[in-house]
Amino acid sequence: MSYKKPDNKDLEAMIGIVGKNYATANDAICASYLSKSVMGLESQIPDIVIRPKYPEEIRKILVYCSQEKIPVSPISGGLSGGFACPLIRPGGVVLDLSRMDRIIEIDTENRIAIIEPGVTLGQLWAYMHKHTPEYCPPIPDGAPPSSTVMGDAIDRGFSLVTSSMGPQGDIFMAAEVVIPRGDILYTGSWALPTAKPFYKYGIGPDLWSTLMGSQGTMGVITKVAIKIFPHPEHKTVVVWGMSNPQDMQNLTWQIGNQEFGIAHHCVMVQGGNYPLVMTRWPKEKVPHDYEFYKEIGFSRWWMNFEVWAQTQEELEYTEKRIDEFAKKFMESKECKDPKAIIKQELHPKQIASRLKKPNKIAIPYGYWEAGFLFITWYTPWKDCAEFAEMYNKVLEDHGIAPVMWIASIERCRQAICMPIICFDSTKQEDFEKVQEINRITTEYSIKRGWLNYRPDPYIHAPMMYSQAGTYLKYLREVKKMFDPNFIMHPGRLMLP
Amino acid sequence: MERLEVMKKELYRCIHCKACKFTYSGDPSREGVGEYKGVLYEGMVPSCPSGLEYGWESFWNAGRMWIARCIMEGDLEFSENVRDTIMQCITCGMCEVQCENKVPTVDIIESLRAACYFSGVPLIEKHELVSKLVVERNNPYGGDKDKRFEWVKENGLEEYLDKKGAKIAYYVGCTASYRQINIAVATCKIFKRLGIDFALVTKEVCCGSPFFRIGRTDISQDLMNTNLELFKKYEMVLFSCAGCYRTFTVDYPKWIKKELPFKTNHAFELISDMVKDGKIKFKENPELKGKVVTYHDPCHTGRHFYIDTQRKIIDESKNLIFDLRKLNKWKEEWFEKPRIIIRALPGVKFNEMYRIHENSFCCGAGGGVRAGYPDFSLKTSSLRLDEAEAVGADFMLTECPFCWRNLDDANTMYNHGIPVYGILELIDKYDLIAD
Repeated sequence: MSYKKPDNKDLEAMIGIVGKNYATANDAICASYLSKSVMGLESQIPDIVIRPKYPEEIRKILVYCSQEKIPVSPISGGLSGGFACPLIRPGGVVLDLSRMDRIIEIDTENRIAIIEPGVTLGQLWAYMHKHTPEYCPPIPDGAPPSSTVMGDAIDRGFSLVTSSMGPQGDIFMAAEVVIPRGDILYTGSWALPTAKPFYKYGIGPDLWSTLMGSQGTMGVITKVAIKIFPHPEHKTVVVWGMSNPQDMQNLTWQIGNQEFGIAHHCVMVQGGNYPLVMTRWPKEKVPHDYEFYKEIGFSRWWMNFEVWAQTQEELEYTEKRIDEFAKKFMESKECKDPKAIIKQELHPKQIASRLKKPNKIAIPYGYWEAGFLFITWYTPWKDCAEFAEMYNKVLEDHGIAPVMWIASIERCRQAICMPIICFDSTKQEDFEKVQEINRITTEYSIKRGWLNYRPDPYIHAPMMYSQAGTYLKYLREVKKMFDPNFIMHPGRLMLP
Repeated sequence: MERLEVMKKELYRCIHCKACKFTYSGDPSREGVGEYKGVLYEGMVPSCPSGLEYGWESFWNAGRMWIARCIMEGDLEFSENVRDTIMQCITCGMCEVQCENKVPTVDIIESLRAACYFSGVPLIEKHELVSKLVVERNNPYGGDKDKRFEWVKENGLEEYLDKKGAKIAYYVGCTASYRQINIAVATCKIFKRLGIDFALVTKEVCCGSPFFRIGRTDISQDLMNTNLELFKKYEMVLFSCAGCYRTFTVDYPKWIKKELPFKTNHAFELISDMVKDGKIKFKENPELKGKVVTYHDPCHTGRHFYIDTQRKIIDESKNLIFDLRKLNKWKEEWFEKPRIIIRALPGVKFNEMYRIHENSFCCGAGGGVRAGYPDFSLKTSSLRLDEAEAVGADFMLTECPFCWRNLDDANTMYNHGIPVYGILELIDKYDLIAD
């Protein structure tokens, strides 16, 4: 696919649409949009950056760029991992959507928030904390506060109620989407101009699903309606420790498999291994030996059950039942190491810290050396221990700390497995090492039928889509329907 | 580029997460003062003055870190575009305290500016002018160097000029010598009243702060060497300017790679300790009775000392999981110091603004921005005064003549109606020390 590199005439056209303060080809400004970390190591400096405010401006930009065959990549101000999914080759125009930051409506009766794509986690949290404290937005646990609510959802991430309510993609109810053909499309029940955003599948068949996980390759989402959830007063965190990932997986499954009752009260169920604590600090400034972490109260592996309840009685009941499941599991044949199944007693300050949202817990892994990468996979829950063991071995074989975080999605139907690859991004050889790890683990994972959460364009997408030829063929047809000249975020997802 | 190279690993810790876009980025549910003039002072609040003003990614900290990285990797060359982007950072350090990866953003920006200048990109016109003036006249304001201490005679303080036998020196600085003389006079009068035996060193030259900040490290080092030679005979040097204090205490040791030959203290520390020890008592002034005051933490005495202390703890630590806890105790004591004085003033009501301590919003004057970009600088100051209005302040107090100047100018320009005073200035003006 060949594209036009935008020139001065194109910049003038963009300025004509958004005004001179909101379109630029200034090389320093363009360079500042680069990002080689967290969610991907590939990034390209854009030729032009535009900061639109209104859908109509975006519509005109897309129509122009489509005619001229200029690539366009939207960024909402940061996806679930921060400033992820940046522009890649062949460059072109970046649409920085951070000016579209209006919280349009919080409808507690229908439990819906209507927001623009630039609304950040911190912004929406503060707003709802002040104005509708009995409800909270479904923001992810651990994503930086500058990530956007829409970015996390469109990428099928997770939220603070994911274990109970399902993946973040499920929180979408309706969207306004500007597509390169020059139309503004409304999905879900919004397809009917008189309808509220109360039904995500709309008038059917559902077009929205073709945009979910599309990484900006189909169009630009300019307004979304998302679910909000009650924010009960009674909360706690229950932690059980163990020595291995199998026991973590199987004990947690016992609780998630209840499906109703306590499984629903456990809104966020997430765990991992002790290097998750260790690698938040500089490599040379903390002990590496497990004995130190044992002494300060960490098991080799653990699982946090974040419990929300409407009453104290419900909360205590849920905690009691989790403990009963743990004790019963300890006595079962399935348990590999009963002696290591230990309840971790948390100080109230530790509980408060873990309940804090949004938080910065996923950020400091750059402190271990100088940079890190999340490579996230979805597996059936009962495969997550195998995933962890496989991945950690590959990491250790390459001299990288085996850092693994795992969370339950929808009451242990799926696991979101996230190895955190802490490496030294000042060294080219470390970049190469990370890519080799990625290739080895992707090959294994695809053979096992596991899915990449946000496929990168050079390793995951080619390896995954090559196994799904018919699906890719039809996906490309869908892409062509929305974006006939293939200008949207070219190179992503093997959609030219 | 050498200094930037030294910090390469620290720079590469920036993952472009942009948590630094928020004040209180780790405190999402913080109770605040509600909405005022369209800003919700609750939970996380946008942090960076230049990001707020200009919006482009390059004007937020994370974007600037990636510009530095592009320069280091050869993806971008120094140019006037780069200069104009990095020069509009106030170097307030708000981003640095939000960073979980402890990226030393202020040092990186200063090093980037120096590398930009020494690569051959000229300074902007106004920075060129102040550089020329300081070389010729020892101060960036263009004041006559022989008239630096003219205010002394007008206020009957001649006895302190190069006073023989004094073991304490008061470094006045350029702003208090040529512009905010009120601060210098009030400080001297209070020292005198408290019986502090001090000297004014008539040959003092600019501390070099503006030139460390804008990248003219050649000029700043010359000034530093002159001052070190002049003050080495004293046991302690006192300051009334946050910028000068920071430059002597934080910058000088970094550049000379050893400890200073004298102790340094800001006047507010000295007074605060005396209040705490019961050595100073205040009396009520009817003119102030019932008035609401608020306090603006200057970045240079607040956040920058916090960052410096954090750096020292990290450098010395063998187990940071435990050692970083020491910072919280230090922080509580440090930021409380000026507040001890304010709380001791009878009849005055003290209302804190929402963004305080290491999360204090900058007055907009630092980093060469007041000289180079005065409109943006004053607009930032006005945002700070909005925050003071939000808590019903009648007066704003601070402990930096440079913050004072900018806040006061914005107060006039934007009609906030909130007069600005130095804490010591207020004490002197309203004669608050009890006999």
